[in-house]
Amino acid sequence: MIRLECILKIERFVLFLLFASFVACGPRVVPTNFHDPEMDFAALRTVAVMPFENLTRDQLAGERVRDTFFNSLLSTGAVYVLPSGEVARGVARAGIVNPAAPSMEEVVKLADFIKVDALITGVVQEYAEVRSGSASANVVSVSTQMIELQTRKVVWAASTSKGGITIWDRLFGSGGRPMNDVTRAAVDDLIDKLFH
Amino acid sequence: MILLTNFSIKKFRVFFLVIISLSGCQGTNHHAISVTDNSPVVTKKLLTAALPFTNLSGTPAPLEDIRHLLINSFKQQGLNIVDEEVVERFLTRHRIRYLGGINRATARDLKWETGADAVLITSVELYKEELPPRMALTCRLVSTGNSPEILWMDGIGLAGDDSIGLLELSLIEDFQILQNKAVRILSASLRRYLLGESYWRGSQRAIIKFWPKMFYRSPVFEPGMKYTVAVVPFLNLSEKKFAGEIMALQFIRQMKAHENFVLVEPGLVRQALLQMRIIMDGGISMIDADSLFSRLHVDLVLAGEVFNYQDKQGTTGTPKVEFSALLIERKSREVVWNCRSYHEGDDGVFFFDWGQIETAYRMASEMVLSALETMIE
Repeated sequence: MIRLECILKIERFVLFLLFASFVACGPRVVPTNFHDPEMDFAALRTVAVMPFENLTRDQLAGERVRDTFFNSLLSTGAVYVLPSGEVARGVARAGIVNPAAPSMEEVVKLADFIKVDALITGVVQEYAEVRSGSASANVVSVSTQMIELQTRKVVWAASTSKGGITIWDRLFGSGGRPMNDVTRAAVDDLIDKLFH
Repeated sequence: MILLTNFSIKKFRVFFLVIISLSGCQGTNHHAISVTDNSPVVTKKLLTAALPFTNLSGTPAPLEDIRHLLINSFKQQGLNIVDEEVVERFLTRHRIRYLGGINRATARDLKWETGADAVLITSVELYKEELPPRMALTCRLVSTGNSPEILWMDGIGLAGDDSIGLLELSLIEDFQILQNKAVRILSASLRRYLLGESYWRGSQRAIIKFWPKMFYRSPVFEPGMKYTVAVVPFLNLSEKKFAGEIMALQFIRQMKAHENFVLVEPGLVRQALLQMRIIMDGGISMIDADSLFSRLHVDLVLAGEVFNYQDKQGTTGTPKVEFSALLIERKSREVVWNCRSYHEGDDGVFFFDWGQIETAYRMASEMVLSALETMIE
């Protein structure tokens, strides 16, 4: 009877060791989302999406991702998003040199011209096709942040990366999902992070 | 003798009745058109001034040849065309260079000086003679006088390899055949309009196939209501020259087919933009929209961006179109509808290129049709 108990204890210990080793092999989870705990996101009524900074070779990547973001955010119906032309007018009138990364003074100036509760800025880090051997696929990486105009604080920040080569692509050599679909998936992920 | 007299009297009565009925059919004004609440229906032959064609294809095209072919065909459909020299003299006298639309002053002068009831404005959006040939045309009839109004508008985009058939037996290799086909389709559409019939062509299958990838409609927008709409040229970010104008024309054409919308002639929109010195570098702003609302007395302003408008390169590849559009409403001063759409010619094609679309024009047309469904459904 005592022997049986010993065997069970050893079994449990081995199982624990196995579980611990699996957990140790897993990647370190780094949070890619920040929400200001003091911010009431339900109070947001109107936001402006600033032009995204484009760090890729594709000249239209920034504008494409921004447009997708604008459409997706407006489609949620949770907030009203100013049309890009209205934002462009505000940027021109406020004399903002780099609208993708405005300084706090510029944000204050812009608030005089466009009536919004928050600004969303973004950076497109990757928007290209990646290759590995004979397989290829599209990949999009975007990071965004929201600046509340009343407090001039960054109240939300998130980043995402979608696309890339999958096992399916390696096995069957498909070209991956179209760039627009990958962009949409990345933007949907960002919006999910904003609302959850 | 009596019989003969009776016969003559009968003949005279029949002749008199025919004369009466024929004269009853004639209107008081030879060139008059009657405008119903929904769409103008022509009861008489329109005297039409055909403007020289606009080339939006980005490549050289024999515009005069296409014009003569189209005008001859339209004449056969019952359209009275003002003599070409008269139109040329008018354009020279008034120093008119922009032929993609007509403004109020030109429409009024044209009516007074040439007597034309309508003006035919045509643009060539695609022209390629090499095998397989391709062609795209958009035509519209705009009434002259003090308030120009779009009476009829249609367009066609054709490629020689649209439907090649078994063993390529239906492949069109001769550009002239394709051109004649395009002219024939447009003429048939015009004839249907002149007869007061519906000329709209669209299929439910295409609507589903080219459904926009994302769209939004505000509760402020009421699809059942009648709206007056001004469509401004789209911001063109694509490599195709004039893609912004082509997309705007596509929207005007498809919206015109819906009875809920009254479209403002693009020439009037252009005139308003010029007069108010509106330059939309980054898209339409609320101030720009407000100016258009007050100047053109419209309920909605439609604007957008074209990211890609690419035709098939030679015999390989597929056409690609990518655009986003938004609608700003007058009362709420808000975006009440927007959509983003991107498709390729081989979307939904699995076997033997069956159902593949060969021109960006046709694809854009069907994408716009689907986009409008999300607006009015």
